[in-house]
Amino acid sequence: MKKAGLFILMTCLSWSCTENLMLEPVSEISNANFWKTEDDATAGLYGMYVRLRVPASSSFFCWGEGRSDIMGPSYLGAVADFNLYYDNALNATNSAVTYNGGNTTWQNLYSIIHHANLILRNVPDITFRSDATKNDILAQAYTMRAYIYFLMVKTWGDIPLVVDPIESVDPLTTQKVRTPVSEIFAFIKEDLDRALELYPTANLTEDRNTWSKPAANVLKADVFLWTAKRLNGGEIDLNVALTALNDAEQSDVVLLDNFADIFEYTNKGNKEIIMAVNFSELEVTLGTQRRESRFMYIHPAIPPNISPWAKAKIGAPSPNGGYWTPRPEICDQFSSEDQRKDASFFQIFTQNEGDDSTFYATLAYKFRGTVVGGSRVFLDDVVLYRYADILLLRAEVKNALGLDPSEDINAIRQRAYGPYYADHVFVPGSREQNDEVILQERLFEFLLEGKRWWDLIRFEKVFDMVPSLKDRVGQNHLLLFPIPEVTLALEPLVTQNSGYN
Amino acid sequence: MIFFATIAPVFGQTLIIGTVKNIDGETLPGVTIRVKGQATSVSTDDEGGYSIQVPQGSQVLVFSSIGFQEQEIIIEGRTTINVVLEPGSTLLDDVVVIGYGEQSRQTITTSISKLDTRVLENVPYSNAASALQGTLPGVRVQATTGQPGAAPRVIVRGGTSINNPNGATPLYIVDGVFRDGMNDINPEDIESIQVLKDAAATAIYGSRASNGIVIIVIKSGKSGRTDVRYSYDLSLSSMDIGYEPLSAKDFVYFQRLGIAAVGEKFPAELLKLSGELSVGTGNDLTDRTAYTTQYLTEENQHKLNQGWESIADPTDPSKTIIFNNTDWQNVLFRTGVSHNHNIAASGGSEKATFSTSLGYLNNQGIAINTSYKRLTFSLNGDVKIKDNLDVYGRLMYSNSSNNGTSGENIFLWAMGLAPTAKYTFEDGSLSPGPPGNGNPEYRLDKLDNKNSTDNLTMVVGGKWHILPDLVFEPQVSRFTYTTDARSFSGAYLNGPTTLIDTRSASSSHVKRTQHQADAVFSYNKSFMDSHNLEAKLGFAYFETVNQSLNASGRGAASDLIPTLNAAAEMVAIGGQESKQVVAGYFSRINYDYQQKYMVSLNGRYDGASNLGNNYKWGFFPGVSIGWNVHKEHFWNALPEGLLSFKLRASYGVNGNIGGLGPYQAGGQYSVGARYGGNPAIVNSILANPDLQWEQSKTVDVGSDIGLFNGRINILFDYYRRITDNLITSLTLPHSTGFGSIATNLGSLENKGIEFDITANLLPKTSPLKWDISFNAARVKSKVLKLPENGAENNRIGGIYIWDPNKGDYAWLGGIQEGSPVGNLYAYRQLGIYTTDEEALQGPTDMLVPGANKTKYGGDVNWFDTDGNGVIDERDRVYMGNIYPVWTGGLGTSIAYKGITVLLRMDYTTGHTIFNYRRASTVTQMSGDQNLSQEVLRSWQKQGDVTDIPRFVWADRLAGNINRGNSEYYEPGDFLSLREVTIAYILPSTLTRRIGMNNLRVNVTGHNLHYFTNYQGVIPEDGDQDMGRYPMPRNIIFGLQASF
Repeated sequence: MKKAGLFILMTCLSWSCTENLMLEPVSEISNANFWKTEDDATAGLYGMYVRLRVPASSSFFCWGEGRSDIMGPSYLGAVADFNLYYDNALNATNSAVTYNGGNTTWQNLYSIIHHANLILRNVPDITFRSDATKNDILAQAYTMRAYIYFLMVKTWGDIPLVVDPIESVDPLTTQKVRTPVSEIFAFIKEDLDRALELYPTANLTEDRNTWSKPAANVLKADVFLWTAKRLNGGEIDLNVALTALNDAEQSDVVLLDNFADIFEYTNKGNKEIIMAVNFSELEVTLGTQRRESRFMYIHPAIPPNISPWAKAKIGAPSPNGGYWTPRPEICDQFSSEDQRKDASFFQIFTQNEGDDSTFYATLAYKFRGTVVGGSRVFLDDVVLYRYADILLLRAEVKNALGLDPSEDINAIRQRAYGPYYADHVFVPGSREQNDEVILQERLFEFLLEGKRWWDLIRFEKVFDMVPSLKDRVGQNHLLLFPIPEVTLALEPLVTQNSGYN
Repeated sequence: MIFFATIAPVFGQTLIIGTVKNIDGETLPGVTIRVKGQATSVSTDDEGGYSIQVPQGSQVLVFSSIGFQEQEIIIEGRTTINVVLEPGSTLLDDVVVIGYGEQSRQTITTSISKLDTRVLENVPYSNAASALQGTLPGVRVQATTGQPGAAPRVIVRGGTSINNPNGATPLYIVDGVFRDGMNDINPEDIESIQVLKDAAATAIYGSRASNGIVIIVIKSGKSGRTDVRYSYDLSLSSMDIGYEPLSAKDFVYFQRLGIAAVGEKFPAELLKLSGELSVGTGNDLTDRTAYTTQYLTEENQHKLNQGWESIADPTDPSKTIIFNNTDWQNVLFRTGVSHNHNIAASGGSEKATFSTSLGYLNNQGIAINTSYKRLTFSLNGDVKIKDNLDVYGRLMYSNSSNNGTSGENIFLWAMGLAPTAKYTFEDGSLSPGPPGNGNPEYRLDKLDNKNSTDNLTMVVGGKWHILPDLVFEPQVSRFTYTTDARSFSGAYLNGPTTLIDTRSASSSHVKRTQHQADAVFSYNKSFMDSHNLEAKLGFAYFETVNQSLNASGRGAASDLIPTLNAAAEMVAIGGQESKQVVAGYFSRINYDYQQKYMVSLNGRYDGASNLGNNYKWGFFPGVSIGWNVHKEHFWNALPEGLLSFKLRASYGVNGNIGGLGPYQAGGQYSVGARYGGNPAIVNSILANPDLQWEQSKTVDVGSDIGLFNGRINILFDYYRRITDNLITSLTLPHSTGFGSIATNLGSLENKGIEFDITANLLPKTSPLKWDISFNAARVKSKVLKLPENGAENNRIGGIYIWDPNKGDYAWLGGIQEGSPVGNLYAYRQLGIYTTDEEALQGPTDMLVPGANKTKYGGDVNWFDTDGNGVIDERDRVYMGNIYPVWTGGLGTSIAYKGITVLLRMDYTTGHTIFNYRRASTVTQMSGDQNLSQEVLRSWQKQGDVTDIPRFVWADRLAGNINRGNSEYYEPGDFLSLREVTIAYILPSTLTRRIGMNNLRVNVTGHNLHYFTNYQGVIPEDGDQDMGRYPMPRNIIFGLQASF
């Protein structure tokens, strides 16, 4: 008995210390065992795109179109904070609490930057079966980083430049000051050059929802056009943009004959797409569906007295529709001969006694999602670039260079007006007139695609066109977004955009 | 063996026998008799008799029983010792279970509270932790919901956490087995509950001790006493406080006027008046519309004879609107009827004891579809194998189940649905209600959910007296916790016209397996009658494995099968496994000199697998000293027993790794996500290899005071706990792309006092017994230090507002040095503008949406803190803090012959609650929400003087409420009338005749009332009240019989 006790005692005391406390996770991957193989790199790459979905599900639209002249209240009135965008009433406090517009801080964007930085840090040390695969992954990470910084610098101006993955919690290294716009653009351009060098082929990817050389070229053109117009880049930048667009056009892209087909849920990855953020059923939770579209459709309380035709076209309603929508003044600008009109939105009228009818609501139709089990889910891809971008960006570049933009504009119009094209042929005028036409054509072509606000800035038409800004001419701080108070609270080295103090 | 055990003497042992009685001459069963300085103990039998083997050389026998004064009898060579026990205090002579052992209150030098188990007697708690409320000073227990089976929040001494003080829960130990809480334990099986509060008391549990330890002992058998008990409770539960929603008539009136007013600025809104909305006239009697409101016509006028009401359209008085009023609270709430059965048997001989019980509770909630069922078994057996060797086995099983209906959701439903919504259609079938949160009765009917949880604890252990003074106690246990859940939603109408036939189904299986092995050596020795020494040395190993499986699918062909096999399409699958190991060596040395001077040393060296690789191990010591002043000679100047007085002080260091995931320190890349069909891996948690123990250092000074022979007992404690290296989820700058990282940062101070008094108001000899008790605890927390980050006070988060103390703008709130956490800020409502003219005089309100900032009569007049004539975000002011300052309780019981009357109350003060639920119902936030009767006194015309702003559709357009209005930041101070019981023990002459030893009946009122100014349903929890499941008021009829 005593021996047994002694034995237990010895066992207890000799229990080896730290080794038994070193547990390897079973169902998780830790820092220590990731980024070792080609498979890790591929999965990590898609992880970066998963992160891209988060801001793409709503913020891209809110930033790129929410503040523009396109948007206004829908039939439910100015509710749910969307009015903060089209009223241009954003300030430090409310810009982060807008729950329906999604998180409007830059956190989700830096999360993508972090993933790109992880790839750029770790993938070079991994052995691949083929260098082409490795270079493709690195090129995508560079393109992604450039795209996100481009979006951020347009949105907030100076921003913190983070070029390494976060590996420390030391506040002295995680706290960063804002880097000036010009340096950010220099960095973006470097990233794009590196990316374009690395892409192993000049082809588009099969699904067209990851970055590729043509997509990087369109992005490059977009960036250089911006710096040409906004940062005095002049003809040098315009020529770079033109070359990039011409390069991009060499890939397998066409204009689809039927405009609506570009956005059909069942036609994702079609030949007009250059790069779209993929949204797929069961891959996306409710919270990361495309929220701006969800709130633009009609909610289930549909007036009984609308036509059966309209009812059929609506199909399943959105759980939270009726919050915001393209303004009637914008919709009225579409010609009925333009096939883009019916593909972009449709208007509902209630039938009153007699033949009298009353306008009820405008529904966004371009990104109306699909119906699963009776519920409408908003899972359209967010199109970042498509062939029409190449054409209209090139028209804009050419016009700025004093070249004739007719060919590109007319390519767009030919598709849009089809049999009525003859009545809508573009004939060049003065450079200003051409600019006006290009801007207008972009409105028709890209309605609801998250580009209008940037267009208005590039063409310097913000204060002319946006109703809520017409009496605020000269308040140029409004071209940038306020930095939310929650961001300032956590980043003492970051200062507010002047004008928002 | 039997021969040795029963016939003395063996190995120089003596057998002592005797009888124990009380002062009335009645025999006392169940009295514990032990040899002083040794672990051997026996209990008296039914007739009060006992026999005990005493080793030669032993001097003293100790007789103890709850409710009696402990007596030490010097043996002096006698073999028969009869004893009369005097009724004593329940406090200072009590035996208290401490870590790996027990100790008399007389010699305890740390801060430990023990539950007066009378609180468990009358109320059939679905969660025994609720019984701790207001009964133990320094233990904050808050009910956050009235959902059956829900665990209350238990926080000891404020908790050691900066970013989640409400998550700093204590460690629970049930018969030596670590658990997360007291869920699914049958209160009837509980012998005692004690809470170890200061660091010296908890140091023996080292690594997870800094938030306090709750030790629960399960009943076990007593030798010589066989007992069969049966008890039954019938509880009737009803709603104490609900909301007072607007009637349909008032709702139609205000909502229509509100929409009409908004329509002047936004004409599109006017369509609501004619639409199929809550007050729109586009509804009809068909099953295509969700609401009842419609203009009176010949086709529908018969409804007025069927209980519908009418009102002249306030926007066009020439027309009449008819509607039906549904009080959704009536639909959703009911009288809950609950049953609780328990049967238990215990007994044994000197050789072996056993205890077994079977319990069944069926607790019906006051909201429809909410319930909690619990089935419990327990079996405890102890066998003396040899004189010096005891072994025991313990088994505890419980199954609890519910149907997965959240009462909170139901409550929000009740308040969210307009009273004009259709409850049924014309054919009497249930209406699905409007889209979104529809008719709850309809929607709940379409759900088929089942949750079932099994808890199984198995313990085997022994007690081996290697030498008379040296005992070895090993214990091995396995605890498994398994939850099986499934849910299914049949096809349903979301709104009258949209059929959702996704038919989502899901199932999950979660299993936790925990193994523990403890081995403790104890050495117990008294020297020269004066020096008492107890020394322990032990090793403890803890290992827990969590596994889970879950799957979800959809697209079943029909509603017939709720399980996954019917799903036609897979939606998601998951399966995980994780493991954690904690191991430690510990020791304790207790020494006292004549019970006069006491000192106790504790220490534990602990290692945990989930800490950073660089910091796996930590050492946690504790030291405490005590002085029984009344045992000094000079105290004899006082009359004997008048005043006993103990001073004690302690200091200790505790660790904490609560809330830290099993592999968090190593960082995490998450799997499961896909992008366009490609599997993706996402970096979800940042690694921190330097993650180390959180350390709290506590100084505690206290005093135990007894007056008038223990008729009045007072416990007092003051403590200051400083927790360093807090394991905190540090909010990162947004530009890191991460929300937070687990790290050690800063230090937090919790400072408080605790006070507990119990008194027997009448002499021991009085046939009428009357005792009262009162306790109070105050705790204040403050952040002392944060890592340097360049901000003033090294602040993390917060808001930039006018600081009246500084006379300048400053960052307040968030987490910063020198301030508590949990501060609330909002705009202060000075009043309501009585007229448009008055409104024009006020400051410009930048928070009014849109370019036009005009304010009108009926709008809120906000306090312009910085006096700059402009109301903006900087004008927010301090509203209070979400954490309570004072908590405590009071109770009294009066007993005369067989009748006892007992009353218990508890209170909490100092916390502020943002009553969002109230704020959102005094105006229309958006849509068709139901409103409260406070709208009736809202501002309606020029000159009205009131505190409720004009009713608008919607508040976002006026900004009177939603921005955060001081009127809805309410103090949560409350006094709860928690329990009133009248119990009667039938005379034994009567009960013996019907074959019972004892029969007790009681009538109890539980959760009778909150005395509070708070205008929500539960005032207990600070922070934001989104609408809570009301606490049920229970009337309980109980019966306890023993045979």
